[in-house]
Amino acid sequence: MKKEFSGVWATFEFLDDMCFSIKEIRKQGIEKITTHTPCPRHEIEHALGNPQSRVPFFTLFGMFVGIGIGILLIITMTLDWILPVSGKPVVSVPVMGPILFELGVIMAIYCTVLGMVLLILRDTKKHSFPTSDKYKNYDRFMNDRFGVVVPCSKNEVDKVVEIFKKYQAEEVNREA
Amino acid sequence: MSNITYTSINEDVLHSLKPPGKTWWISLGIILSALGLGIFAWTYQIMHGMEWSGINHPIGWGVYITDFVFWIGIGHAGTLISAVLFLVRAPFRTSIYRASEAMTVFAVMTAGLFPIIHIGRAWNFYWLLPYPNQRQLWINFKSPLLWDVFAVSTYMSVSIAFFILGLIPDLASVRDGCKSKLKRFFYSIASVGFRGTNHQWLHYMRGYLLFAAIATPLVFSVHSIVSWDFAMSSIPGWHTTIFAPYFVAGAIFSGCAMVLTIMIPLRVAFPGFKEIIKVRDLEGMAEMILMTGILVTYAYSIEFFIAYYSGAKFERALFWFRPFGELRYFFWLMVFCNCVSALPLWIKKIRTNIPALFFISILVNVGMWLERFNIVVTSLAHDFDPFAWSMYKFEWVEIWITVGSFGWFFMWFFIFVKIMPSLAVAELKEALHPPLRRSQ
Repeated sequence: MKKEFSGVWATFEFLDDMCFSIKEIRKQGIEKITTHTPCPRHEIEHALGNPQSRVPFFTLFGMFVGIGIGILLIITMTLDWILPVSGKPVVSVPVMGPILFELGVIMAIYCTVLGMVLLILRDTKKHSFPTSDKYKNYDRFMNDRFGVVVPCSKNEVDKVVEIFKKYQAEEVNREA
Repeated sequence: MSNITYTSINEDVLHSLKPPGKTWWISLGIILSALGLGIFAWTYQIMHGMEWSGINHPIGWGVYITDFVFWIGIGHAGTLISAVLFLVRAPFRTSIYRASEAMTVFAVMTAGLFPIIHIGRAWNFYWLLPYPNQRQLWINFKSPLLWDVFAVSTYMSVSIAFFILGLIPDLASVRDGCKSKLKRFFYSIASVGFRGTNHQWLHYMRGYLLFAAIATPLVFSVHSIVSWDFAMSSIPGWHTTIFAPYFVAGAIFSGCAMVLTIMIPLRVAFPGFKEIIKVRDLEGMAEMILMTGILVTYAYSIEFFIAYYSGAKFERALFWFRPFGELRYFFWLMVFCNCVSALPLWIKKIRTNIPALFFISILVNVGMWLERFNIVVTSLAHDFDPFAWSMYKFEWVEIWITVGSFGWFFMWFFIFVKIMPSLAVAELKEALHPPLRRSQ
């Protein structure tokens, strides 16, 4: 079922206009803001209060999983058929190094990708988006325009529209 | 003052994706012919046996292993440029990293073919993997050859993932700029619904940074492990601790040269790219070539010094054989290409001269292929027992397969530049000053 959207979305030509408007909207107590930008910009992160990503936890987890798999793989396979080489111990720790490193890296990478996808999906689900065709088909966000989506109640809409107009938004669209 | 804007970057990239012209088709025809030669030669080898490969006893590793190490080396520069230069924020990276990453992926795809070609019975290639191949006998985890299987497959997976991840926002830009419905549909799927929201950028950028941090040691590990294929044996000329850093420096040297070999024609093919891929970016690459060229020269001299200083008879004999034996022409050509040809890059005028850079990059590529040939073949041709000494004779099959590998590599690159953005749109935009009202 589609989530009902109530709120405003606006587009900006200038980055600083957008950042000022975000700060002012956050002062009104509205925190669930979504922005659209053609490239990542730290100015927006600062305006949004520097949110943190939890992707590194997935990476760390993946690294441990990879190393664990490597240790298990080498020990079980080596002990399954004893193959003595040059009088070295059958299960030798130093020679595990390269394989543990490679498996650690590959699992860390896979888990990082998984983490990114899951966290993006979770955040996207937490926020509501305009359902109009105009928003869905707006094709300048990845080109040269900045956008802000503010879900808010009907009595907050006017206030938000006013802020957007104050900072010279190019287009302001109400959706309720 | 630069005229580059967010819109102009998009336009240049969209322009590069327009239907190809006559020159592109003719070039692709030549490339496919080279690939055809390679496929024919490989089929011939499969039908008639490995005697057509030029390898003999005791030279069990020949042109195929040389090609393998060469292509892995080429594949080094892409991840180096994307990961290491991303972490150190090198300014010349942004305009060239996408094409370098593509180069890495295609070079590693090419390198991966050579162990399969080399084993002869290509259909048994999966015996290289941790699989109980005969009588439940597992592979030997103490062998550096197995480490190499893990290293190369991990490197390929990470390079592909890094490449695809970097492409997603740029494919979204292309999607939004496409007029054709079919193209829009294709790029919509490829860009997995990316619309540049703050949630997407936040996790994407953190993930990308982690990718770069993880890929950095991987860049150094993969060629170190390739070098241990040689260094962990006891053959004179191979059994040396300098091999890992020497191979890594050589790989960066050849990879950066290949980046120039590819980027310079790309700049000519798409005039809009000239403003984006600036001469100073190519100069940055030239400086990398100069530095790694000096490291490689240093490694060559240290090898000779240690052979002399160690007093080991077999080492000394081998290092006498390389410059003065039957294969001396390969050695001296290698010295010219790798140690001498890059020296003019000390002069700024030459570093910023595009035809000179292109010419030097070709020489370095040739030199680095010869370096691998010298390492692989001369040591095996002249090891401990004079009774077993031998010479290497090139066969047409291995030459054609080598030519075919270039066809395979360039085929992918040619297809790539026409269907994917060959510039990193989002990163180029990030490097620009954002449009600000208050600064005007």
